[in-house]
Amino acid sequence: MKKFLRLADFIFIVFLILVLVLPSVVKAHSAYLAGLISITWVIFIGARIYNKSSEKVIVLGDALLVVYIFLLLWELATSKFAWLDKFLYPTPGVVIKMFIEDMPFLLKGLLSSSGLLAGGFGLALITAIPMGLYFGYKKRLKLAAKPFAKILGPIPPIVYIPYAIAVLPTFRAASIFIIFLGAFWPIFINTLNGVSDIDKKIMDSARMLNLNDRQMLLNVILPGSISAIMSGATIGLSFSFILLTSAEMIGATSGMGWHVKYFSDFADYPRVIVGILFIGIIVTIITFFFDKLEKYLLRWRKT
Amino acid sequence: MSKLVVKNVTLNYANGNKSNTTALENINFSVSEGEFLSIIGPSGCGKSSILNLFTGLLSASEGEILLNGKAISGTGLDRGVVFQHYSLFPWMSAKKNISFALSQSFPSKSKKELTRIAEDYLGAMGLKGFEDKFPAELSGGMQQRVAIAKALAMDTELILMDEPFGAVDSKTRVVLQDKLLNMWDSGEQKKTVVFITHDIDEAIFLSDRIIVMSSGPGRVKREIAVNFARPRDRFSLTKNAEYAHLRNEIVSLFYDDLASKIGGEEVVL
Repeated sequence: MKKFLRLADFIFIVFLILVLVLPSVVKAHSAYLAGLISITWVIFIGARIYNKSSEKVIVLGDALLVVYIFLLLWELATSKFAWLDKFLYPTPGVVIKMFIEDMPFLLKGLLSSSGLLAGGFGLALITAIPMGLYFGYKKRLKLAAKPFAKILGPIPPIVYIPYAIAVLPTFRAASIFIIFLGAFWPIFINTLNGVSDIDKKIMDSARMLNLNDRQMLLNVILPGSISAIMSGATIGLSFSFILLTSAEMIGATSGMGWHVKYFSDFADYPRVIVGILFIGIIVTIITFFFDKLEKYLLRWRKT
Repeated sequence: MSKLVVKNVTLNYANGNKSNTTALENINFSVSEGEFLSIIGPSGCGKSSILNLFTGLLSASEGEILLNGKAISGTGLDRGVVFQHYSLFPWMSAKKNISFALSQSFPSKSKKELTRIAEDYLGAMGLKGFEDKFPAELSGGMQQRVAIAKALAMDTELILMDEPFGAVDSKTRVVLQDKLLNMWDSGEQKKTVVFITHDIDEAIFLSDRIIVMSSGPGRVKREIAVNFARPRDRFSLTKNAEYAHLRNEIVSLFYDDLASKIGGEEVVL
């Protein structure tokens, strides 16, 4: 029966009782917290029934356990015993309630941020990958590009923000440009190195087929360096997020980074926490799909 | 007529900014039309360098190599190649590897036709059902079968093989040798094959002629004709007295080379 009662279940039940039975000292909306943990627990039970292979279930159970303990401590420290300052530390119930109520507003911010992200990161992808492939393929261009990459690459792109805002006509253009710069160098440098790292034997086999430059780039160099390109793109993507939110905190009037900064200025900390959580969730979702894409593109590799 | 002629070929490798290393010194031999020639020698004798001169991936420092009477300059689709590793692109399926190569050799043929040829050759190599597998999903022996199918499907007059069975286990190697000989024997017009190996039995079983090389720098030590009738049978061949004699001769050429090195300043073992 051990299989059917995990530590997470035990904690869940204790937790649920504590949340619902213990009286709250502040207006805590504990019902929202009870609702959230109940939903996650039902999902957990569902996963156990649906997916008998235990590896993933164990991981999920462990993760839930950590989340439950964290939430429980938070709940006890705020709504139940008020150990923490109630102005700076909202209760979990309040944050969950606000997260749900603010969802349309949050999604509007996401839309605004997506435009900047897609513009900057997309521009970096469509310039850095072809350039990296071609420069990597042509030895002379590669040697010419390397010193520039070495000098310009390591400059933290965040330092360009004030100047870019001053020089470029709109804040939007400035943000896209900075995100582009931040993502360009890691993608370009990784692609360049990826091309150099293609096994010499593979290049020999390709040369035996007398391919023209276009075929060589599309059918050999691109797939041969896709792993390096994807790791460059992953670094570029996380830089993009940092730059996106930084730029928004400095000069935007909408978006996910702006949300956090704006409500901090009003000391509306529940909304600040909601904004941070929302960014975390969005980044996780995008990274998840990015990993899926990488797995698909590299499906020919030995697993 | 000679398909391939190697004339006074010397190959020097630039060795940093110091003096050059001589990999091959004054090599002379020729390969006849339809001949199966093996080049055998200890590691470091430059046998792979010779093959890479034939592929056009390397060029000779001195002397010349004539293919059909014309000097080889660079790679060409008139030569099929099987390397020990990475003759296939890991990101293409077995079938796609072949049809992609074929689209270079036969640009006028339709995609459908090329796919059909690829499937035929894979089938002939006993790989039916594995057409859509990526190389990483195939065993080393199967990968080499795909590579051989590719080289044969390209239908070149000259096939170059650089220790193609060097990385597969001995049991698989025997199967692959049989398959290769079968395919080679069954062709209407026999293709010319240059086969690099360090396996003496493999060389005798497959070849019409064997070139034994010595190392430091690489030189042709002896040319040995192998006159067993074809199609050959491995088991009766090994019982043949002539076979034993031939084998001993090559072994002694090998050990002679090693012995002189151990006797000298350089110890290789």
